[in-house]
Amino acid sequence: MDFDVFVNYYNQLPFLIKVVWIISVILFIIIIVSIFYLKIYRTRLRNSTAETQKLVTEYEIQLINYLYAEEGQEEQNSIIEKLTFCISSKSKRKIIKRVLLKLKKEISGEIAVAIQNLYRQIGLLNFALKKLDHQNWYVVAMGIRELKQFNIKDAHDAILHHVNHSSKEVRKEVQLYLVSLFHFKGLEFLTKIETDLSEWDQIQLLEVLQKNEDQQDVDITPWLNSNNDSVVMFSLKIAEIFNQYEVQNHIIELLHHKNNIIRTKAILVLGGMQNLDFKHEVMNNFEERTLEEQQALFKIFEPLVSNNDEWFLLKYSEHYNFEIRLEALRLIKNFSPDKFALFKETTNNGQFLEMLNFLTDN
Amino acid sequence: MDNLKKIVLAEDNSTLSLLLKFRLEKEGFQLFMAENGKEAVNQIETNNPDLILTDIMMPYISGLELISHVRNKLNSKTPIIVFSSAGQEEMVLKAFNLGATDFMGKPFSPNELVIRVKRILS
Repeated sequence: MDFDVFVNYYNQLPFLIKVVWIISVILFIIIIVSIFYLKIYRTRLRNSTAETQKLVTEYEIQLINYLYAEEGQEEQNSIIEKLTFCISSKSKRKIIKRVLLKLKKEISGEIAVAIQNLYRQIGLLNFALKKLDHQNWYVVAMGIRELKQFNIKDAHDAILHHVNHSSKEVRKEVQLYLVSLFHFKGLEFLTKIETDLSEWDQIQLLEVLQKNEDQQDVDITPWLNSNNDSVVMFSLKIAEIFNQYEVQNHIIELLHHKNNIIRTKAILVLGGMQNLDFKHEVMNNFEERTLEEQQALFKIFEPLVSNNDEWFLLKYSEHYNFEIRLEALRLIKNFSPDKFALFKETTNNGQFLEMLNFLTDN
Repeated sequence: MDNLKKIVLAEDNSTLSLLLKFRLEKEGFQLFMAENGKEAVNQIETNNPDLILTDIMMPYISGLELISHVRNKLNSKTPIIVFSSAGQEEMVLKAFNLGATDFMGKPFSPNELVIRVKRILS
């Protein structure tokens, strides 16, 4: 009866109101279904998080028991057996790996080595090595990263094989693996790399190298002569940061490199090393050099200036480039104050006088 | 049990906490664990420990705030060893300015920690 009243009421309604009613009912149903769906989804997520947390706690206890059990003792072997069985499940494997890594990141010394041994003993290493042959680049990259995190040095050859991988991410992981685990020796990949090392890759690699306390000498000469310009640039940065004075002559040769950026960087690196031989070479053919190279020379010129260079400074105090002109005048002010004072007295050029006044005040 | 030296360990890495708890208890210390700075403050106020081990980066209340609380609010001279990660050198300086006794950079060796703890508590 009630339902008929509602139907009659509905039939009498104008069309637009009917549409609004229909939409309201549909939206109401959607909201109810969504609420139930979210409720179920949230419960599932909570259960899964609780289950994961339970497993994390269980594996943490097993790990600590393993680490403090006597080596080769029954307890240790039983833990290895249990964990070996667990890693056949993908989700459990992930959790075990997470637990091992969580501790390995914070601990050094024999315990870190013991974690690494456990990683091998329970077979996680084999799973990581299998990833290296996977067809998806992201799986390969993750495998390499995992081997780096667990400090697995014997995967070196298998990983070096990917040095020219088509994926940028894989190449980056290969480079980081080599440099993180083998430090300067790991730079051997520079001989094999055929692709460009991006600026970001170079920054990351240099950061890893600088963290390494054992900053042993490495012969960067072959990389300075590389056909890959990014490798040459990276080698110049290594020479600059790690004070590779012994390769100065090779860097001087780079002053004739075909790439302007490399020639400019070579000037900056040699300047930082306070090399005097290159100074005369660049001064003698200053006019033929690009503006970037000329600016680079003036940037590092101050500690290299001698009394004999006055002519050079005077000549280029009238250079068409403002920065070079200003730097030349600043050096004249420091090294030939008399000449500088004379300039101020004799000049009629307003802009030139402004520069001189600026330098006097600063 | 009452004669045991009490240590509050504030560390949010549960695996590391468990490892250090196991190791230090083996050496004869009584451990009170805290997963974050807030819990650590409660543990310190309740148990009046002989030593505090704290990480710098922790949820709710950081290690620096914890040191400040112990030194300025509780006016306690309890020794504090701070754990810091690479790149937190500035934080370590701040920790010393606030009154930290010693620091250990992560990753560290638990054996070395035990030696330092014993030296401080001897």
